Amino acid sequence: MTRLIPVAAILAFALAAPSAAEQANGKAATDFKLTDASGKTVQLSDYRGKPVVLEWNNPGCPFVQRHYDSGNMQKTQATAKAGGAVWLTINSGAPGKQGHLDAAGARKFVTDKKAAPTHYLLDPKGVVGKGYAAKTTPHIYIIDAAGVVRYQGAIDDKPAARPEAMGAARNHALAALNEIKAGKPVSVAQTQPYGCSVKYAD
Amino acid sequence: MHRYAFAFVTWLVVGLACLLASAAPAAAQPAGANNLAVELVAETDMPAPGSDVTLAFAATPDPGWHGYWKNPGDAGLETRLDWQLPRGVTASDLAYPVPTRLLIAGIMNYVYKGPFTQFATLKIPAGLAPGTPLPIRVRADYLVCTDEVCVPETENLSLTLTVGDGTITAERRARFDQWRRALPKPLGSEGKFAIADGIARIAIPWPAGAPLTDEAYFYPLTPLALTYNAPQKVTRDGDMAVIETKATGSVLRLDGVFAPGNGQGFGVTAMPGTVAASAAPDAIDWSAALVALGGALLGGLILNIMPCVFPILSLKALSLAKSGTSERHARAEALAYTAGVVLVVLALGGAMLGLRAAGASVGWAFQLTDARVILFLLLLVLAIALNLAGLFELMTPRFAGKLAGEGSGGAFMTGALAAFIATPCTGPFMGVALGATLVLPWYLGLLIFLGLGLGLALPFLLLGFVPALRRALPRPGAWMDTFRKILSVPMFLTAIALAWVLGGLKGVNGMALGLIVALGFAVVLWLVGRRQMRGVGNGAAWIAAAAVTVAGIWAISTIEKPASAGQVEKGGAEPFTEARLAALQAEGKPVFAYFTADWCVTCKVNEKAAIETDAVRQAFQKAGVTVLVGDWTDGNPQLGRFIERHNRAGVPLYLWYPKGSREPQVLPQVLSQGMLVALPGG
Repeated sequence: MTRLIPVAAILAFALAAPSAAEQANGKAATDFKLTDASGKTVQLSDYRGKPVVLEWNNPGCPFVQRHYDSGNMQKTQATAKAGGAVWLTINSGAPGKQGHLDAAGARKFVTDKKAAPTHYLLDPKGVVGKGYAAKTTPHIYIIDAAGVVRYQGAIDDKPAARPEAMGAARNHALAALNEIKAGKPVSVAQTQPYGCSVKYAD
Repeated sequence: MHRYAFAFVTWLVVGLACLLASAAPAAAQPAGANNLAVELVAETDMPAPGSDVTLAFAATPDPGWHGYWKNPGDAGLETRLDWQLPRGVTASDLAYPVPTRLLIAGIMNYVYKGPFTQFATLKIPAGLAPGTPLPIRVRADYLVCTDEVCVPETENLSLTLTVGDGTITAERRARFDQWRRALPKPLGSEGKFAIADGIARIAIPWPAGAPLTDEAYFYPLTPLALTYNAPQKVTRDGDMAVIETKATGSVLRLDGVFAPGNGQGFGVTAMPGTVAASAAPDAIDWSAALVALGGALLGGLILNIMPCVFPILSLKALSLAKSGTSERHARAEALAYTAGVVLVVLALGGAMLGLRAAGASVGWAFQLTDARVILFLLLLVLAIALNLAGLFELMTPRFAGKLAGEGSGGAFMTGALAAFIATPCTGPFMGVALGATLVLPWYLGLLIFLGLGLGLALPFLLLGFVPALRRALPRPGAWMDTFRKILSVPMFLTAIALAWVLGGLKGVNGMALGLIVALGFAVVLWLVGRRQMRGVGNGAAWIAAAAVTVAGIWAISTIEKPASAGQVEKGGAEPFTEARLAALQAEGKPVFAYFTADWCVTCKVNEKAAIETDAVRQAFQKAGVTVLVGDWTDGNPQLGRFIERHNRAGVPLYLWYPKGSREPQVLPQVLSQGMLVALPGG
């Protein structure tokens, strides 16, 4: 609550290029507030006490489609939630760009894909995306119950756009959640994310 | 070569397209209308058993689309290959050409915006009978994107090789040579890197004389080391190029491709080590700045005794001395005059630096290796020298003395006027200063102009503060003319030095042409001087001088440095060709062949410490050893193939062919004088 991204910083982020690892592993995650697909305001710090997964989403991106069409993302979301985690899907696509969704579009996406996030959050100005230096869709961040960033990077270790390459992949998100739950350090805490670039406003 | 369109693949693509279309119309592609066309070509269709054959994936993205490098950057995906190869045949990893950068909304992409060709090498097993068909199939998955959308595309490529004699046709050779030029070359020596406090510093061995532009960039292959979208600052530190940028994390080894900014690229590995902070070059800059300031101060001081400045100064000084005003008034006048001079000179300098900034974007970086620039400087320096020698005069506007004499209150204006009116005289000196500012950073350039202004104002400043000087003022006279003529000597020496540089760039013919242009230029200036003496206007003569300059500069650009074939190079070495090597071997002569490049530090060290030493030269001469040099600076593919044949990916390569031997002895990459001297005996 106290570390809300201030307006000036938002402007600065919007003007300057986002630089990587704005959220460092082992450091407190910057708090943010976004509106979800049903119009509800969601604040990160409301979930203190539970691990939170952030998933950057662009339904037009073939890499995202690969994970949703194969059911892998929905399965990961359900498994994470069953383990007590909160799953926030964030769309930072700017209006007019590929994959941008309004509230109705986001509701339709969740229904059509049988997606299971706790909330689908709308970030059309890319403020949270840039504040977290989200680069690709998908791009995963995991914040633990104490509000500390524990993982950032790809969803798995098979960077490909083809569905059939997914079978033997290591799901970095679920692995990190399991290790956090067991009170262990996250063994793979940072990976290079892969996918489409987040379609921020120019 | 042949793109098989199997029916089931077509159905797969159509099916996939429908799937994509249902999910996102923007990303949908009609089947068969790929945005990236890929052609699979083998260097030879008839590889010999037991040999390697190179396959090229020649990719052409549609306009506005781009393909990705091995490390795609912040987003994207590398190419993925799934091979179906005959038994015993193995394929290497894919080799990528040097990429370019594409920054979209703060996200860095390492891409190819135009056609690009990747290479894979197949190993053909030994013992295959000639005529054995080798069907090669490969499924290549590419990600191809515009600034807006990305589409994963699949190419099912195939071709059939036949085991044969390995003949490479001239057409294939030419295509592969062209493609190979775009591949990064191995730099040959290891770099160092240090990551601390979120800052990465990478030191790459890079000779001080090798080109390095503002566009220089280190493309990282090792993930999670560098922040891709952070700017990279590239500086020189002796025989090192130092890259400073933001770090993402810590790594134990850093691989990448170093691009000096001229289209070339060099594969390099850096290991952890100490890399000096870039504060070091800054310190050097400041000592250079002091030298420049001192030189400019002296130059400005000399300007005071130029014929067009001296009258103004002396008139003003005399009026100050005569009027016998208070010390305070004299000082105020001197300071105002100084301010006027300095401001005008700085304004002029600023304008020149502005021009330079405009020029910088079109590539001033290599201007000192440009013969046209050298010739222009030669003519400029010659004109100054001839002017100092008294061949012709630069006109001083008449009203100068009149205005400067009056206006006791307007000392500032007098100073400004003096600096401004003095420009015809200072012009040549300004020209030299401009020449210096072309190679200096802007703040040093401005410092030079500041020094020039201060130097110009210094005598009057002293006169204002030291009354004794006012009384001891020298009178203008014949001594000034003599002094001026003496000053022409260093200028003529400068012109000779520039002619020599021109000779180095363009050979004897180029130097001769430059000197002929210089003579024509001097004749025109002489005509100017004659007409001046008769008091005739000479606008036409000035136009002629300009015409001679332009014509000369055009002519010098058409001269090619004579091909060095057959020419004796440094240390009695000849340029390497395979034909020359074969001829020498046929004669039964011992040969030492070495392969070098201007960007190779190890090569330079070996040349200085061993090859080009007198002891080695004498030992080789005595034993009748012919030395052949292969210069691989521009990545000549013919040399590249020869080097590869000796199991080296690049330079340095040192070969010793003993008397009567067809096969060389490959020498180690670090040479010593003793090792080379001992060669003819062993």
